[in-house]
Amino acid sequence: MSRRLVHVGIAFLALYGLLFFRLEMVQVVNAKDLRNHPLNTREIMLNFDAPRGSIKTADGEIIAQTVAVSGPRNRLRQYPYGSLYSQVVGFISAEHGGSGIERSHNGFLAGSDLSVRIQDSRDLFVDQARTGQLQLSLRHDVQLVTRAAMAGHKGTVVVIEPTTGAIWGMWSNPNFDPNHLSSHDLEAAAIDFNKLNFDVTQPLKNRAEYQSVEIGSLFTIVTAAAAIENNLGDFATPSTSSFSANSNVSVITNPDGNRCGGTIKSLMLSDCRSGWATLGTEIGHGPLETVTKRFGLIDNDPLQSQNALPGTSGKTRLISSVPHSAVGISMKLTPLQVANLFATIGNYGTQIQPRLVDRVLAHDGSVIHDFEPHILNQSVSKETAAELLGLLSENVKSGNAAGLELSDVSMGALLASSFSDSNHLWMVALAPVPRPEVIVAVLLEGNDFDDQQIAEANIAGISRRITEAVLRLPSPNLEGS
Amino acid sequence: MNQQRIVELTLLLLAAFITLTTVAVAAVAEHTDINWVAIPYLGALLLLWTLSHLSLRKWAPTANGLLFPIAALLQGLGIAFVLRINPDLLVNQVIWSALATCGFISVVAGIRDLKWLQNFQKRIGLAGLALLLVPLVLKLSEGRNGSYRSLQLGSVTIDPSQLGILFLIIFFAGWLATYRSRNTAEHLGQVERLDGDPSRFIPLIGAWLLASMTVIFQSDLSSAFVLVAIFLSMWWVAVGRPFDLAIFIAATGGSVLLALNSVPELQDRFAAWTDPWSNPQFGETIIRSTFALAGGGLTGTGPGEGSADWAVGATNQFAFVPIAEELGFIGGSAVLSSFLLLTGVTLRLATTARREFEGLSAVGIAIFFASQAWAPIAVTLRLLPPNDISLPFVAANGSALFTCSVALALLLKISETVSHAADPTEIIPHLASEPESTP
Repeated sequence: MSRRLVHVGIAFLALYGLLFFRLEMVQVVNAKDLRNHPLNTREIMLNFDAPRGSIKTADGEIIAQTVAVSGPRNRLRQYPYGSLYSQVVGFISAEHGGSGIERSHNGFLAGSDLSVRIQDSRDLFVDQARTGQLQLSLRHDVQLVTRAAMAGHKGTVVVIEPTTGAIWGMWSNPNFDPNHLSSHDLEAAAIDFNKLNFDVTQPLKNRAEYQSVEIGSLFTIVTAAAAIENNLGDFATPSTSSFSANSNVSVITNPDGNRCGGTIKSLMLSDCRSGWATLGTEIGHGPLETVTKRFGLIDNDPLQSQNALPGTSGKTRLISSVPHSAVGISMKLTPLQVANLFATIGNYGTQIQPRLVDRVLAHDGSVIHDFEPHILNQSVSKETAAELLGLLSENVKSGNAAGLELSDVSMGALLASSFSDSNHLWMVALAPVPRPEVIVAVLLEGNDFDDQQIAEANIAGISRRITEAVLRLPSPNLEGS
Repeated sequence: MNQQRIVELTLLLLAAFITLTTVAVAAVAEHTDINWVAIPYLGALLLLWTLSHLSLRKWAPTANGLLFPIAALLQGLGIAFVLRINPDLLVNQVIWSALATCGFISVVAGIRDLKWLQNFQKRIGLAGLALLLVPLVLKLSEGRNGSYRSLQLGSVTIDPSQLGILFLIIFFAGWLATYRSRNTAEHLGQVERLDGDPSRFIPLIGAWLLASMTVIFQSDLSSAFVLVAIFLSMWWVAVGRPFDLAIFIAATGGSVLLALNSVPELQDRFAAWTDPWSNPQFGETIIRSTFALAGGGLTGTGPGEGSADWAVGATNQFAFVPIAEELGFIGGSAVLSSFLLLTGVTLRLATTARREFEGLSAVGIAIFFASQAWAPIAVTLRLLPPNDISLPFVAANGSALFTCSVALALLLKISETVSHAADPTEIIPHLASEPESTP
C-alpha cells in the first residue's frame, strides 16, 4: 500500500473524527444546555397543537387551557384572563415559540416528562396522550387587587409569602394578551408578535424576574444588617450634610442638603445618605460584601422563581467604593430579588427559594410533584432580623414610609426614590409586624410624576392598597385546596 | 455466482429493510401524514436498486460488493426523510433516481475498460472546466449576488459544477498518470527541492486559481475546500513533494485571507459562522440545526417525531440534521460511518488498482465523496461557514444524485479484479514496496 495513500486516509480519518467529536458534543454532552437555551423554541413549537394540560391558580381559577375547536388544527390554547397573567404564564405560539411557565414547564404540560407520561406501569404499553396540569402559587384575588391598584401606572408588583416563598402575585405593566399569539390565524399572530417584540417598552419581558433596576436606599437595610452583625448597631455617625471619601469619586449628598447623623435608626428615619456612607466605611468592604452575599444578591445570577428559564442578565457585583455601595448606588436588582430580600428578613433570616409552581397534577387530579418550600440559606441571625423588622416598622411610624400606615395593622416598609439618572421609585411593605405574612414589593417606573412628593404618596397608596387587601382576603389554605 | 455479488445482495436487502422500517415507524408517528401513496415510490426505488444489482451481475461480476449497498442505504434514508418532510419533492426525486440508475448502468455496461476514457482526456478536462465555470459566468453576467452553484431550468434545478468536478478528476488522473511520473518525490529524491521540470507547477497553479475563484466570486469556502481536498489528495498520492505542498497551501491560504478581507458576502457568512448567536439573521439555520440536533440527543426523537421541517434546506444541504435529530447520535454516527466506510473501501481499491490512472481516479472519487459529505455535515456542526453543497446520495438534489451514481459506477468498474494486460505507466505497484528514492 502506498505510504502517501495512507497519509490521505489518515487526514480524512482525522477530519471525520472531528465530526464525530462535534456531533457528540452537540447531541450528548451539551445537549441539555442547548435544549434549555433561551433562544431554543423548538420543543414548545412541536407541542403547539398537541394535547396540553391546564394551568390553575392556587385558588382554583383556570388561567390557561386547551379547548377543542373545529378546523385543521383541532386544539386551541386559551388564556381566559388575557393580560392578567401574561408575563408569568407566557404564551405558546405556532411560529414564535413560547415563554414563561408555558415554556419552562412544557415537559409537564405536554406530557413529554417521563413522570407525567408514565403514571402507571400499564402506561408503558399503552400509547395514550398524558398531560400534566400545573397548580401555581399565584392567587387570582391577589392578581386582581394588584392590577386594580396599579391601574394606569408603569411598573411591577411582586407579592410573596415570606414563610413559604410562595409568590402570590406577580404583575407588571406594560404587558400583552397571550391569546393573540396563540391564535391559529398565523398571519395575525406574526403581526402581533413582531409589534410586541420590537416595542421599546418590551411588553413581552417578565419585568419581575428579568429586569434589574437600581434599588438605591433599599440597600440600606443590608448595610444596617451588616452593621448589626458587626456590632456597630449603636455606632453614632457624626452629623454631616455630605460625604466624600476622596476627590476621585462623586460626593454623596443628602436630599435637600439636610444635616443628619446618629445610629442606624435615625439614619433610616431621616434617609441619611451621608450617614450610611460613613457607616459603610466603618463596616468595611469585606464584611459588607459577606452580608450581601449571604442575602444572595451578588456573585450569582439573579435569583429566580423555581424552574424559571435562565435569564440573560449577568452577575451583580458590589462596587469597590464602600460608601457608594453602602447607600446602594449602582446596585441593581430585579423586583423578585427585592421581594425575596425583604421576605428573608420577614422570615427571620431564613432565605426561602421563591416559587411560582406549587404542584404538578395528573389527569385524574392526583399529585405527581409537590414543590415544598426550599430553604436556601440562613442569611442573618434571628436577632438581627428582629432588629431590622423593628427598624422597618419605625420607618412606617415616623420615617419615609409614613404614608403607608394602617390604623389596625402594624407594618414595616422602606421607600427608595430620588435616583439621579432615572425616574423610578421602590417601596417594599411587610405586614403585619412582628410576624409578617405578606411582602409587597412595588416598583413604579416612568415619567408620569413631576413632583417627587406626589410620586411618593402615590407609591405608598398603591402599596397600602395591595397590602391591606391581601391581609383581609381569605387565605386559600382555609379552603383546603 | 460471484462472492462479491452475494455480499452485495445480502447488504442490499438489509438497506431495503432499514429504509422501509424508517418509513413505517415514521408513518405511525403522530404528526406525520404518510399514507399508501408512498408505496409506489418505495417500490420504484427498490426496482431501481434491483436493476443496478442485475446490471452489475451481468457486466461487472467481480466488482466490489460493499460500495453499492452503502450508497443504496444512504439514498434510502434520504428518500425516507423526503417522504415525511416534503412529499412534493418525491416525484422529482424518483425521476432523477431513474435517470441516475440509467447513468449508472450505462457506465457499468458501456465502459469496458476505463483506459478508454483516457483517449478523450483533454475533451473531458475542458468539459469539466466549462461545467464548473458555467454557474460562475452566469452569475457574473447577471450581476446576481450570493453563491449560485445551481442552474434553474424551469422547475428543474441542475448543479453542473459537481459533474464538472468529476470530469476534472478523470482528466487530472489521466494527466498525472501519463506525464507527471518523472516529477514524483520518488523520482527526484527528497533533496532536490527546486529541481525537476518547472512545468510541474502547472497543476498547482491551476488548482490554486480555481479555488481562489470559488472563494472570491462564489463566496464559498466549502466548495473551495472540496476542490482543494480532491486535488491535493490526488496530487499528493501521485507526486508527493512536501516543498510544493507547502507553497500551494501558503498560496491558497493567502487568497482565502485576502478574500476574507475584501469580499463582503464572504464576511457575512464568516460572521454568521463564528458567532451565530449574536447574528440570528444569518446564523438562524445553524442555530436551528444545532437545537434540532440537541433535541435528538443520544437516541433521537424517533422517526417522524422530529421538528425537521422548519429547518431550511432540511432535504438538501442540511439533510443530515433530520436524520441525526430523529435517529439521534447513534443514527448520525451510522451515517458518518457509512461515508467513512465508503471512503475507506475506495482508498483501499486505489492500492489494488491495475493501473495508475485507475488508482488515481479512485483516490479522486474517494475524496469526492468524502469531502462533499464532510462539508455539509461540518456546516451543521459549525466547523465550516454555511454553504450549499448537497449531501451525496442522501440529499433530494437530482443532479447531484446523478453525478454521484456515475462516480460510483466508475469506482465499481475500477474495482473489477479481472486482470488486464500489463500497463507500462504503472507506478503504484512499485510504491507498494516503498522504495526510498530511485535515481
